[in-house]
Amino acid sequence: MNEEHASSDVENRLRPLWMAAQSGDERAYRQTLALMATRLRSFFRRRMPTLLDDVEDLVQETLLAVHLQRGTYDPAFPVSAWLTAIARHKLVDLFRRRDRKEGLHDEYDDVDEAELAGEPAEPHARRDLAVLLRALPETQRRAIELTKLEGLSVAEAAARTGASVASIKVLVHRGLKRLVEQVKKAPPETLAPLASPPRGPRNARGGPSCFL
Amino acid sequence: MHTEQLIDMLARDAGPAPRAVVARRLLPVMLMGVLCSVVLALWLIGPLPAESFQTPAPWVKLAYAAALAVGAGLLTSRLARPVAELFTPRLLVGLAVGAMALIGAATLFLTPAQERVDAVFGQTWLTCPWTLLGFSLPALAGILWAMRGLAPTRPRQAGWAGGLLAGALGAMGYALSCPESSPTFVAIWHTAGMAMTAYIGRLLGPIVLRW
Repeated sequence: MNEEHASSDVENRLRPLWMAAQSGDERAYRQTLALMATRLRSFFRRRMPTLLDDVEDLVQETLLAVHLQRGTYDPAFPVSAWLTAIARHKLVDLFRRRDRKEGLHDEYDDVDEAELAGEPAEPHARRDLAVLLRALPETQRRAIELTKLEGLSVAEAAARTGASVASIKVLVHRGLKRLVEQVKKAPPETLAPLASPPRGPRNARGGPSCFL
Repeated sequence: MHTEQLIDMLARDAGPAPRAVVARRLLPVMLMGVLCSVVLALWLIGPLPAESFQTPAPWVKLAYAAALAVGAGLLTSRLARPVAELFTPRLLVGLAVGAMALIGAATLFLTPAQERVDAVFGQTWLTCPWTLLGFSLPALAGILWAMRGLAPTRPRQAGWAGGLLAGALGAMGYALSCPESSPTFVAIWHTAGMAMTAYIGRLLGPIVLRW
């Protein structure tokens, strides 16, 4: 993102925010991540025009990496260069994973409309969510139940489980991602209501994640 | 999950960024690696007789291994970050190997012709690189594990640097047991053992260093 659009103005906006965030300013951190998300979105869109459905996933994956690896940032280098290096790494990783898994699952757009069930009914959705959650590793399931179903804050969930705040964040993100993957993979007869795609305009952030 | 929600979750109570993450992860496994190689050397081969330590031979090996460990350690810690300056650590690695090669060549030149074969091959050239490699494996495992938790974006190079570092740490332990006294031997066979470890690291890098 810093190569073609030699983005010295992006760097100028990003750097002061990022430095404040690094020293613990939560508001600046929030702004930095939002700014980074925008940059990442256009970075990935330009590089994977055939995989636009995966862009938002990759943006999130990269933001998570930024968060987990913020300690590896060296102030001697531009933030945008650091971000680009991570983004490129995540992109390469995606291509490698896709190479291996290509052909294992259908794109939503290719599914025959006639095979899809109607709108999900609430009770079904809840039952299926329970089914899906049971398939998650215990720690991920617990983290999701606490933060997403019981509505605790991450800090409260951390206190409740004894895990660190950082690891709750990771568990929730990984767990939700895994749930989405399961929904995508599951054969229609076991998960018919959840497997139907959202009607109407597709969620801009791609497919089934709007359920979660 | 929406991206805004993820951002909110990540930023909430995030606090300041952790400091010195690379050193805090790498230094303990380096220490563990040296200790393992020392224990393996003393246990499997046994220490050199005390009077050997009055000759320069073990000290040359230790100094060489330590110099390479500094260069390779710096290189590894730089490659554990997404962007870093690599010229200085590469120069240090080059200087260490170059200096040892010069010393080895000079001693060989000064050795009487009929003793040169012995200076090059010693008694243990067949086993030396392999033993050194073996003693380096705990360090290699630890270093790769440590790097996996950091952010190497060039896995092949990072694996190579980590392997070289592991080799240098393994060579420190091996220096306590290696019976050879010629610097020429060290310049060739110790370097070969460390290069083999580095090569294994290079092969493992792309497989192991995923994050």
